[in-house]
Amino acid sequence: MERPQRWIPWLVLACRLLVGGVFVFASLDKLAHPEAFAQAIYNYRIVPYSLLHAAAMLLPVVEFLAGSALILGVLRRGAALQCGLMTAIFMVAIATALARGLDISCGCFHTDGGHGVGLSLLWRDAGLLLACLPPLLFSDGGPELSLLFKR
Amino acid sequence: MANPSVRSGAMRCVTSPLGEAVVLLLLAVMVTAGIWLARPAQLAWQADPTVYELELTAPLVEVSEALLLFEEGDHLFIDTRTLPTGTHEIIPGAFVIRQDTFDDDLRSYFDYLFPEDPLVLYGSGDLNGVANIAARLQTRGYENILIMRGGLAAWIAGGGETSETEFDEGGS
Repeated sequence: MERPQRWIPWLVLACRLLVGGVFVFASLDKLAHPEAFAQAIYNYRIVPYSLLHAAAMLLPVVEFLAGSALILGVLRRGAALQCGLMTAIFMVAIATALARGLDISCGCFHTDGGHGVGLSLLWRDAGLLLACLPPLLFSDGGPELSLLFKR
Repeated sequence: MANPSVRSGAMRCVTSPLGEAVVLLLLAVMVTAGIWLARPAQLAWQADPTVYELELTAPLVEVSEALLLFEEGDHLFIDTRTLPTGTHEIIPGAFVIRQDTFDDDLRSYFDYLFPEDPLVLYGSGDLNGVANIAARLQTRGYENILIMRGGLAAWIAGGGETSETEFDEGGS
């Protein structure tokens, strides 16, 4: 009989906390400054005006909810899928900005300046994308932190 | 009554990763709509292209930051709106410099407004006019200029105080 691998739930938990923490942290400044985040999105020149403000308002909320869900272990696989898809979209946006030679700030964590787009960002996002896989693929999601809030 | 196999199929769909992601997305849409309904003045649903396409020569500041600068009292506020003759609300103590009467307005403040003064410019929300005034002030040596995003309407929505001033054809 195959022995269950005990490290898998811990790997999943570590990835959940890492990815969830990154997304929750990334959402806070954007939630507080939607105008500045709209400007950061506009700088990529890929979102039409009709969707610009909607994206600036919706994206931070999606990041916050998905990140929180991952940390708490609620709707874990869906949250991991969302975080993975968002990271993939961010990577495409960064890659197109690099290809067009845009010298802009990434708008990832801070809306006022912050990190400029560059290859290092792509590597960082690739790492984040990898970290989304264990919570999405393994059925054992590790300890649910939502249990802390239950009596 | 619903067929149990149909119900279990629907349940499987919702509990699949894609189903969970859709549930989270719908929740996010509802939360976003709630936030927007609670604070509609913060960000208009439709983006104004001029706000993003305009090559601004001075940095933009949010109303929250402008309110802090107003409280600190170091910055002078400039109202750039072109308004008809009559009584209008302005930020207390603001100077009025308009596009049509730029030179006359600036001359009238000769003893009060110096190139080294830090300025916060605001308009009616449209950035075209205020950007024009900022650029013209810069050519006159005023270097320390900020532009308040959203204009007076955003200032009022942000809790900023106003006072009433009489506008005439040549200045306030």
